[in-house]
Amino acid sequence: MTCDQVKEQIADYLAGALGPADTEELREHFAQCAACKQEAELLSATWESLGLLEHEQPSEAVRPRFYESLEAYRQGLEAAAPAPARRRFFGWRLRSFQLAWSAALLIAGLVLGQWFGERRHGQADLARLQDEVQHMRQLVTLSLLQQQSASERLRGVDYAYRVQESDTQVLTALLHAVNHDPNVNVRLAAVDALHRFADSPAVRGTLQQSLVKQDSPLVQIALIDFMVDTRDKGAVSALATLERSSTANQNVKEKAVWGLSQLQ
Amino acid sequence: MPETRADNVIMQKVRDGDLAKMAVLFERHHRALFRYFLRLTGNHGFAEDLVQDVFFRIMKYRATYRDGSPFTSWMYQVARNAYLDGVQKRKVETPLLEENVPEPASSEPDPSEILRRRQDLGLLRRALAALPVEKREVLVLSRFQNMKYDQIADILQCDVGTVKVRVYRAIRALSQIFFELAGEKAS
Repeated sequence: MTCDQVKEQIADYLAGALGPADTEELREHFAQCAACKQEAELLSATWESLGLLEHEQPSEAVRPRFYESLEAYRQGLEAAAPAPARRRFFGWRLRSFQLAWSAALLIAGLVLGQWFGERRHGQADLARLQDEVQHMRQLVTLSLLQQQSASERLRGVDYAYRVQESDTQVLTALLHAVNHDPNVNVRLAAVDALHRFADSPAVRGTLQQSLVKQDSPLVQIALIDFMVDTRDKGAVSALATLERSSTANQNVKEKAVWGLSQLQ
Repeated sequence: MPETRADNVIMQKVRDGDLAKMAVLFERHHRALFRYFLRLTGNHGFAEDLVQDVFFRIMKYRATYRDGSPFTSWMYQVARNAYLDGVQKRKVETPLLEENVPEPASSEPDPSEILRRRQDLGLLRRALAALPVEKREVLVLSRFQNMKYDQIADILQCDVGTVKVRVYRAIRALSQIFFELAGEKAS
Protein backbone atom coordinates (compact mmCIF):
# COMPACT_ATOMS: atom_id res chain seq x y z
CA MET A 1 0.00 0.00 0.00
CA THR A 2 1.31 3.45 -0.93
CA CYS A 3 0.97 6.65 1.08
CA ASP A 4 -1.61 7.95 -1.46
CA GLN A 5 -3.66 4.79 -1.07
CA VAL A 6 -3.59 5.29 2.71
CA LYS A 7 -5.10 8.74 2.27
CA GLU A 8 -7.92 7.21 0.23
CA GLN A 9 -8.62 4.79 3.08
CA ILE A 10 -8.50 7.29 5.91
CA ALA A 11 -12.18 8.25 5.75
CA ASP A 12 -13.26 4.61 6.08
CA TYR A 13 -10.61 4.05 8.75
CA LEU A 14 -12.02 6.91 10.85
CA ALA A 15 -15.60 5.74 10.43
CA GLY A 16 -14.67 2.17 11.33
CA ALA A 17 -15.86 1.06 7.93
CA LEU A 18 -12.70 -0.75 6.81
CA GLY A 19 -12.79 -4.51 6.44
CA PRO A 20 -10.33 -6.67 8.40
CA ALA A 21 -8.05 -7.21 5.43
CA ASP A 22 -7.81 -3.49 4.62
CA THR A 23 -7.28 -2.65 8.28
CA GLU A 24 -4.44 -5.11 8.50
CA GLU A 25 -2.88 -3.72 5.35
CA LEU A 26 -3.12 -0.22 6.77
CA ARG A 27 -1.44 -1.28 10.00
CA GLU A 28 1.38 -2.88 8.05
CA HIS A 29 1.90 0.40 6.24
CA PHE A 30 1.89 2.35 9.50
CA ALA A 31 4.56 0.03 10.84
CA GLN A 32 6.82 1.09 7.98
CA CYS A 33 5.77 4.75 7.48
CA ALA A 34 6.04 7.05 10.49
CA ALA A 35 4.56 10.05 8.61
CA CYS A 36 1.34 8.23 7.68
CA LYS A 37 1.07 6.74 11.15
CA GLN A 38 1.46 10.13 12.78
CA GLU A 39 -1.12 11.71 10.49
CA ALA A 40 -3.61 8.91 11.08
CA GLU A 41 -3.21 9.23 14.84
CA LEU A 42 -3.69 12.98 14.68
CA LEU A 43 -6.81 12.73 12.49
CA SER A 44 -8.23 9.95 14.67
CA ALA A 45 -7.76 12.10 17.77
CA THR A 46 -9.59 15.01 16.13
CA TRP A 47 -12.33 12.68 14.89
CA GLU A 48 -12.81 11.23 18.37
CA SER A 49 -12.81 14.68 19.99
CA LEU A 50 -15.72 15.71 17.79
CA GLY A 51 -17.75 13.07 19.56
CA LEU A 52 -17.59 15.14 22.74
CA LEU A 53 -19.63 17.90 21.12
CA GLU A 54 -22.77 15.80 20.64
CA HIS A 55 -25.00 16.97 23.47
CA GLU A 56 -27.21 19.74 22.16
CA GLN A 57 -30.98 19.54 22.18
CA PRO A 58 -33.53 21.93 20.70
CA SER A 59 -35.55 24.02 23.13
CA GLU A 60 -39.02 23.03 24.32
CA ALA A 61 -40.52 25.67 22.02
CA VAL A 62 -39.73 23.68 18.88
CA ARG A 63 -42.46 21.09 19.38
CA PRO A 64 -45.49 23.35 19.98
CA ARG A 65 -44.31 25.61 17.19
CA PHE A 66 -44.31 22.70 14.75
CA TYR A 67 -47.73 21.42 15.80
CA GLU A 68 -49.25 24.89 15.52
CA SER A 69 -47.72 25.25 12.10
CA LEU A 70 -48.99 21.81 11.04
CA GLU A 71 -52.50 22.59 12.23
CA ALA A 72 -52.55 25.97 10.52
CA TYR A 73 -51.31 24.37 7.31
CA ARG A 74 -53.97 21.68 7.43
CA GLN A 75 -56.69 24.22 8.12
CA GLY A 76 -55.39 26.37 5.29
CA LEU A 77 -55.56 23.44 2.90
CA GLU A 78 -59.02 22.46 4.03
CA ALA A 79 -60.25 26.01 3.68
CA ALA A 80 -58.75 26.29 0.22
CA ALA A 81 -60.07 22.94 -0.99
CA PRO A 82 -62.53 23.70 -3.80
CA ALA A 83 -65.98 22.14 -3.95
CA PRO A 84 -66.13 19.03 -6.17
CA ALA A 85 -68.01 20.83 -8.94
CA ARG A 86 -65.24 23.41 -9.16
CA ARG A 87 -62.36 21.05 -8.69
CA ARG A 88 -61.64 20.78 -12.41
CA PHE A 89 -61.46 24.54 -12.77
CA PHE A 90 -59.38 25.21 -9.68
CA GLY A 91 -57.57 21.90 -9.55
CA TRP A 92 -54.02 23.11 -9.98
CA ARG A 93 -51.52 22.85 -7.17
CA LEU A 94 -50.36 26.02 -5.56
CA ARG A 95 -46.64 26.23 -6.11
CA SER A 96 -46.13 29.41 -4.19
CA PHE A 97 -47.92 32.02 -2.21
CA GLN A 98 -47.35 34.49 -4.99
CA LEU A 99 -49.12 32.12 -7.34
CA ALA A 100 -51.96 31.78 -4.87
CA TRP A 101 -52.34 35.52 -4.66
CA SER A 102 -52.11 35.88 -8.43
CA ALA A 103 -54.90 33.35 -8.67
CA ALA A 104 -56.91 35.34 -6.15
CA LEU A 105 -56.44 38.47 -8.23
CA LEU A 106 -57.45 36.59 -11.35
CA ILE A 107 -60.60 35.36 -9.68
CA ALA A 108 -61.27 38.83 -8.35
CA GLY A 109 -61.01 40.03 -11.94
CA LEU A 110 -63.51 37.39 -12.95
CA VAL A 111 -65.82 38.51 -10.17
CA LEU A 112 -65.59 42.11 -11.33
CA GLY A 113 -66.02 40.97 -14.90
CA GLN A 114 -69.16 39.21 -13.84
CA TRP A 115 -70.35 42.25 -12.00
CA PHE A 116 -69.77 44.81 -14.71
CA GLY A 117 -70.10 42.62 -17.75
CA GLU A 118 -72.96 40.99 -19.44
CA ARG A 119 -74.14 39.29 -16.28
CA ARG A 120 -74.67 36.02 -18.05
CA HIS A 121 -74.39 34.08 -14.84
CA GLY A 122 -76.71 34.27 -11.93
CA GLN A 123 -76.17 35.56 -8.45
CA ALA A 124 -75.31 32.09 -7.18
CA ASP A 125 -72.27 31.86 -9.45
CA LEU A 126 -71.13 35.27 -8.36
CA ALA A 127 -71.43 34.40 -4.68
CA ARG A 128 -69.49 31.20 -5.31
CA LEU A 129 -66.64 33.05 -6.97
CA GLN A 130 -66.55 35.63 -4.23
CA ASP A 131 -66.36 32.80 -1.75
CA GLU A 132 -63.44 31.39 -3.69
CA VAL A 133 -61.62 34.71 -3.50
CA GLN A 134 -62.08 34.68 0.25
CA HIS A 135 -60.66 31.17 0.45
CA MET A 136 -57.64 32.23 -1.54
CA ARG A 137 -57.07 35.28 0.61
CA GLN A 138 -57.34 33.17 3.70
CA LEU A 139 -54.82 30.66 2.35
CA VAL A 140 -52.35 33.38 1.46
CA THR A 141 -52.75 35.03 4.86
CA LEU A 142 -52.34 31.83 6.86
CA SER A 143 -49.41 30.69 4.77
CA LEU A 144 -47.56 33.99 5.03
CA LEU A 145 -48.08 34.11 8.78
CA GLN A 146 -46.17 30.84 9.07
CA GLN A 147 -43.14 32.01 7.13
CA GLN A 148 -39.72 32.12 8.72
CA SER A 149 -39.02 35.63 7.51
CA ALA A 150 -40.47 38.42 9.64
CA SER A 151 -41.13 40.55 6.56
CA GLU A 152 -43.19 37.73 5.05
CA ARG A 153 -45.17 37.42 8.27
CA LEU A 154 -45.76 41.18 8.18
CA ARG A 155 -47.18 40.71 4.69
CA GLY A 156 -49.41 38.02 6.16
CA VAL A 157 -50.74 40.48 8.72
CA ASP A 158 -51.35 42.96 5.92
CA TYR A 159 -53.31 40.35 3.96
CA ALA A 160 -55.40 39.70 7.04
CA TYR A 161 -57.16 43.01 6.36
CA ARG A 162 -58.53 41.51 3.17
CA VAL A 163 -60.32 38.55 4.70
CA GLN A 164 -63.81 38.66 6.12
CA GLU A 165 -64.17 39.67 9.73
CA SER A 166 -65.90 36.39 10.46
CA ASP A 167 -62.82 34.35 9.47
CA THR A 168 -61.93 32.60 12.70
CA GLN A 169 -58.83 30.88 11.33
CA VAL A 170 -57.19 34.16 10.41
CA LEU A 171 -58.32 35.59 13.72
CA THR A 172 -56.68 32.70 15.55
CA ALA A 173 -53.49 33.15 13.53
CA LEU A 174 -53.37 36.85 14.41
CA LEU A 175 -53.87 36.15 18.10
CA HIS A 176 -51.13 33.56 17.93
CA ALA A 177 -48.85 36.13 16.30
CA VAL A 178 -49.53 38.63 19.10
CA ASN A 179 -48.68 36.05 21.74
CA HIS A 180 -45.87 34.10 20.15
CA ASP A 181 -44.24 35.85 17.22
CA PRO A 182 -40.55 36.43 18.00
CA ASN A 183 -40.55 39.70 16.07
CA VAL A 184 -41.94 42.78 17.85
CA ASN A 185 -42.95 44.49 14.59
CA VAL A 186 -45.08 41.51 13.61
CA ARG A 187 -46.71 41.51 17.04
CA LEU A 188 -47.45 45.24 16.79
CA ALA A 189 -48.91 44.86 13.30
CA ALA A 190 -51.05 41.97 14.49
CA VAL A 191 -52.44 44.07 17.35
CA ASP A 192 -53.40 46.76 14.83
CA ALA A 193 -55.00 44.21 12.53
CA LEU A 194 -57.08 42.87 15.41
CA HIS A 195 -58.98 46.16 15.70
CA ARG A 196 -61.37 44.79 13.09
CA PHE A 197 -62.16 41.89 15.38
CA ALA A 198 -62.50 43.99 18.53
CA ASP A 199 -66.16 43.05 19.02
CA SER A 200 -65.18 39.45 19.63
CA PRO A 201 -65.12 38.55 23.34
CA ALA A 202 -62.45 35.94 22.56
CA VAL A 203 -60.18 38.61 21.12
CA ARG A 204 -60.66 40.90 24.08
CA GLY A 205 -60.08 38.10 26.56
CA THR A 206 -56.96 36.84 24.81
CA LEU A 207 -55.44 40.29 24.57
CA GLN A 208 -56.16 40.98 28.25
CA GLN A 209 -54.22 37.85 29.13
CA SER A 210 -51.50 38.77 26.68
CA LEU A 211 -51.01 42.21 28.23
CA VAL A 212 -49.43 40.84 31.38
CA LYS A 213 -47.41 38.15 29.64
CA GLN A 214 -45.82 40.28 26.91
CA ASP A 215 -42.10 40.89 27.24
CA SER A 216 -42.07 43.90 24.92
CA PRO A 217 -43.08 47.30 26.40
CA LEU A 218 -43.96 48.49 22.89
CA VAL A 219 -46.47 45.69 22.42
CA GLN A 220 -47.88 46.27 25.90
CA ILE A 221 -48.43 49.95 25.14
CA ALA A 222 -50.09 49.05 21.83
CA LEU A 223 -52.36 46.63 23.69
CA ILE A 224 -53.35 49.31 26.21
CA ASP A 225 -54.18 51.68 23.34
CA PHE A 226 -56.25 48.89 21.80
CA MET A 227 -58.19 48.40 25.02
CA VAL A 228 -58.87 52.10 25.43
CA ASP A 229 -59.81 52.54 21.76
CA THR A 230 -62.27 49.68 21.96
CA ARG A 231 -63.60 50.76 25.38
CA ASP A 232 -62.87 47.33 26.77
CA LYS A 233 -63.90 47.69 30.39
CA GLY A 234 -63.05 44.05 30.96
CA ALA A 235 -59.41 45.06 30.68
CA VAL A 236 -59.47 46.97 33.95
CA SER A 237 -58.31 43.98 35.94
CA ALA A 238 -55.35 43.29 33.62
CA LEU A 239 -54.36 46.97 33.66
CA ALA A 240 -54.50 47.05 37.44
CA THR A 241 -52.31 43.95 37.62
CA LEU A 242 -49.81 45.60 35.32
CA GLU A 243 -49.84 48.80 37.36
CA ARG A 244 -48.99 46.83 40.49
CA SER A 245 -46.36 44.70 38.82
CA SER A 246 -42.87 45.14 40.21
CA THR A 247 -41.22 43.92 37.02
CA ALA A 248 -43.14 45.89 34.39
CA ASN A 249 -41.46 48.69 32.48
CA GLN A 250 -42.06 52.12 34.08
CA ASN A 251 -43.49 53.62 30.88
CA VAL A 252 -45.86 50.68 30.59
CA LYS A 253 -46.99 51.14 34.17
CA GLU A 254 -47.69 54.83 33.53
CA LYS A 255 -49.60 53.88 30.40
CA ALA A 256 -51.61 51.36 32.43
CA VAL A 257 -52.54 54.10 34.91
CA TRP A 258 -53.65 56.25 31.99
CA GLY A 259 -55.65 53.34 30.55
CA LEU A 260 -57.38 52.78 33.86
CA SER A 261 -58.34 56.46 34.06
CA GLN A 262 -59.86 56.22 30.59
CA LEU A 263 -61.86 53.09 31.23
CA GLN A 264 -63.12 53.67 34.78
CA MET B 1 -28.20 7.39 10.56
CA PRO B 2 -30.54 4.41 10.26
CA GLU B 3 -32.93 4.64 7.36
CA THR B 4 -36.17 2.92 8.18
CA ARG B 5 -38.57 1.62 5.64
CA ALA B 6 -41.36 2.99 7.80
CA ASP B 7 -40.19 6.54 7.12
CA ASN B 8 -40.72 6.00 3.42
CA VAL B 9 -44.16 4.56 3.95
CA ILE B 10 -45.13 7.42 6.25
CA MET B 11 -43.86 10.00 3.80
CA GLN B 12 -45.90 8.38 1.03
CA LYS B 13 -48.98 8.77 3.20
CA VAL B 14 -48.13 12.40 3.85
CA ARG B 15 -47.67 12.93 0.15
CA ASP B 16 -51.04 11.33 -0.51
CA GLY B 17 -52.79 13.74 1.84
CA ASP B 18 -52.47 12.30 5.33
CA LEU B 19 -50.77 15.36 6.81
CA ALA B 20 -51.29 14.18 10.39
CA LYS B 21 -48.48 11.67 9.75
CA MET B 22 -46.08 14.60 9.62
CA ALA B 23 -46.07 14.40 13.41
CA VAL B 24 -44.36 10.99 13.26
CA LEU B 25 -41.65 12.28 10.96
CA PHE B 26 -41.17 15.35 13.12
CA GLU B 27 -40.78 13.32 16.32
CA ARG B 28 -38.27 11.01 14.67
CA HIS B 29 -36.10 13.55 12.95
CA HIS B 30 -36.34 17.03 14.43
CA ARG B 31 -33.55 16.55 16.98
CA ALA B 32 -31.10 15.22 14.41
CA LEU B 33 -32.00 18.05 12.05
CA PHE B 34 -31.50 20.55 14.85
CA ARG B 35 -28.01 19.23 15.56
CA TYR B 36 -27.21 19.30 11.84
CA PHE B 37 -28.22 22.95 11.59
CA LEU B 38 -26.60 23.89 14.87
CA ARG B 39 -23.27 22.51 13.69
CA LEU B 40 -23.61 24.32 10.38
CA THR B 41 -24.73 27.67 11.77
CA GLY B 42 -23.48 27.72 15.36
CA ASN B 43 -26.67 29.58 16.24
CA HIS B 44 -29.34 27.93 18.38
CA GLY B 45 -32.25 30.12 17.32
CA PHE B 46 -31.35 29.99 13.65
CA ALA B 47 -31.05 26.20 13.84
CA GLU B 48 -34.53 25.92 15.36
CA ASP B 49 -35.98 28.21 12.68
CA LEU B 50 -34.41 26.02 10.01
CA VAL B 51 -35.92 22.89 11.57
CA GLN B 52 -39.36 24.47 11.29
CA ASP B 53 -38.63 25.48 7.74
CA VAL B 54 -37.65 21.94 6.76
CA PHE B 55 -40.91 20.45 7.99
CA PHE B 56 -42.87 23.23 6.38
CA ARG B 57 -41.07 22.54 3.09
CA ILE B 58 -41.75 18.83 3.42
CA MET B 59 -45.46 19.61 3.66
CA LYS B 60 -45.32 22.13 0.88
CA TYR B 61 -43.29 20.02 -1.54
CA ARG B 62 -44.65 16.63 -0.47
CA ALA B 63 -45.81 15.93 -4.01
CA THR B 64 -42.18 15.77 -5.17
CA TYR B 65 -41.37 12.79 -2.93
CA ARG B 66 -40.96 9.69 -5.09
CA ASP B 67 -41.98 6.18 -4.07
CA GLY B 68 -39.10 4.13 -2.79
CA SER B 69 -36.57 6.91 -2.50
CA PRO B 70 -34.82 7.01 0.90
CA PHE B 71 -36.70 9.48 3.04
CA THR B 72 -33.74 10.63 5.13
CA SER B 73 -31.66 11.48 2.09
CA TRP B 74 -34.57 13.38 0.59
CA MET B 75 -35.16 15.20 3.88
CA TYR B 76 -31.51 16.27 4.10
CA GLN B 77 -31.63 17.54 0.55
CA VAL B 78 -34.58 19.66 1.63
CA ALA B 79 -32.59 20.66 4.71
CA ARG B 80 -29.58 21.74 2.64
CA ASN B 81 -31.78 23.94 0.49
CA ALA B 82 -33.41 25.42 3.59
CA TYR B 83 -29.98 26.15 5.02
CA LEU B 84 -28.68 27.79 1.83
CA ASP B 85 -31.82 29.92 1.50
CA GLY B 86 -31.75 30.78 5.19
CA VAL B 87 -28.13 31.89 5.10
CA GLN B 88 -28.79 33.98 2.02
CA LYS B 89 -31.73 35.66 3.72
CA ARG B 90 -29.96 36.34 6.96
CA LYS B 91 -26.55 37.00 5.48
CA VAL B 92 -25.14 34.82 8.21
CA GLU B 93 -22.18 32.88 6.98
CA THR B 94 -20.01 32.66 10.05
CA PRO B 95 -21.25 30.66 13.00
CA LEU B 96 -22.03 32.77 16.02
CA LEU B 97 -20.65 30.35 18.60
CA GLU B 98 -23.35 30.98 21.11
CA GLU B 99 -23.76 27.38 22.14
CA ASN B 100 -23.82 26.32 25.73
CA VAL B 101 -22.07 23.02 25.60
CA PRO B 102 -22.30 20.91 28.71
CA GLU B 103 -19.18 19.86 30.43
CA PRO B 104 -17.99 16.52 29.08
CA ALA B 105 -18.55 13.56 31.33
CA SER B 106 -15.33 12.80 33.08
CA SER B 107 -14.15 10.64 35.91
CA GLU B 108 -11.03 12.79 36.14
CA PRO B 109 -11.08 14.53 39.50
CA ASP B 110 -8.22 16.91 38.72
CA PRO B 111 -9.73 20.38 38.12
CA SER B 112 -6.83 21.45 35.91
CA GLU B 113 -7.44 18.47 33.64
CA ILE B 114 -11.16 19.28 33.41
CA LEU B 115 -10.29 22.89 32.63
CA ARG B 116 -7.86 21.81 29.92
CA ARG B 117 -10.47 19.57 28.33
CA ARG B 118 -13.04 22.34 28.37
CA GLN B 119 -10.55 24.68 26.76
CA ASP B 120 -9.76 22.06 24.14
CA LEU B 121 -13.44 21.65 23.36
CA GLY B 122 -13.77 25.41 23.06
CA LEU B 123 -10.92 25.44 20.59
CA LEU B 124 -12.45 22.55 18.72
CA ARG B 125 -15.74 24.43 18.36
CA ARG B 126 -13.87 27.47 17.11
CA ALA B 127 -11.91 25.34 14.68
CA LEU B 128 -15.11 23.75 13.38
CA ALA B 129 -16.66 27.17 12.97
CA ALA B 130 -13.61 28.39 11.06
CA LEU B 131 -13.84 25.51 8.61
CA PRO B 132 -15.30 26.39 5.19
CA VAL B 133 -18.96 25.39 5.12
CA GLU B 134 -18.55 22.65 2.49
CA LYS B 135 -15.93 20.94 4.66
CA ARG B 136 -17.93 21.49 7.82
CA GLU B 137 -21.02 20.01 6.21
CA VAL B 138 -19.39 16.74 5.21
CA LEU B 139 -18.00 16.32 8.73
CA VAL B 140 -21.36 17.12 10.27
CA LEU B 141 -23.09 14.53 8.13
CA SER B 142 -20.50 11.82 8.71
CA ARG B 143 -19.51 12.45 12.31
CA PHE B 144 -22.53 14.03 13.96
CA GLN B 145 -25.36 12.58 11.90
CA ASN B 146 -23.60 9.20 11.71
CA MET B 147 -24.39 8.78 8.05
CA LYS B 148 -22.76 6.24 5.80
CA TYR B 149 -20.71 7.66 2.99
CA ASP B 150 -23.06 6.34 0.31
CA GLN B 151 -25.95 8.14 1.97
CA ILE B 152 -23.94 11.35 2.11
CA ALA B 153 -23.15 10.88 -1.56
CA ASP B 154 -26.91 10.70 -2.20
CA ILE B 155 -27.50 13.93 -0.33
CA LEU B 156 -24.58 15.82 -1.84
CA GLN B 157 -25.30 14.26 -5.23
CA CYS B 158 -21.77 13.10 -5.87
CA ASP B 159 -20.03 9.71 -5.85
CA VAL B 160 -18.87 7.91 -2.72
CA GLY B 161 -15.20 8.37 -3.57
CA THR B 162 -15.64 12.11 -3.65
CA VAL B 163 -17.28 12.02 -0.23
CA LYS B 164 -14.35 10.07 1.23
CA VAL B 165 -11.83 12.51 -0.21
CA ARG B 166 -13.84 15.42 1.20
CA VAL B 167 -13.99 13.81 4.63
CA TYR B 168 -10.22 13.28 4.61
CA ARG B 169 -9.56 16.86 3.56
CA ALA B 170 -12.08 18.23 6.03
CA ILE B 171 -10.74 16.40 9.08
CA ARG B 172 -7.20 17.30 8.06
CA ALA B 173 -8.13 20.97 7.73
CA LEU B 174 -9.93 20.85 11.06
CA SER B 175 -6.88 19.37 12.77
CA GLN B 176 -4.66 22.07 11.30
CA ILE B 177 -6.95 24.88 12.40
CA PHE B 178 -7.27 23.35 15.84
CA PHE B 179 -3.53 23.22 16.35
CA GLU B 180 -3.05 26.71 14.96
CA LEU B 181 -5.59 27.99 17.48
CA ALA B 182 -3.97 25.97 20.26
CA GLY B 183 -0.58 27.44 19.27
CA GLU B 184 -2.00 30.99 19.37
CA LYS B 185 -3.42 30.33 22.78
CA ALA B 186 -0.18 28.89 24.09
CA SER B 187 1.99 31.72 22.74
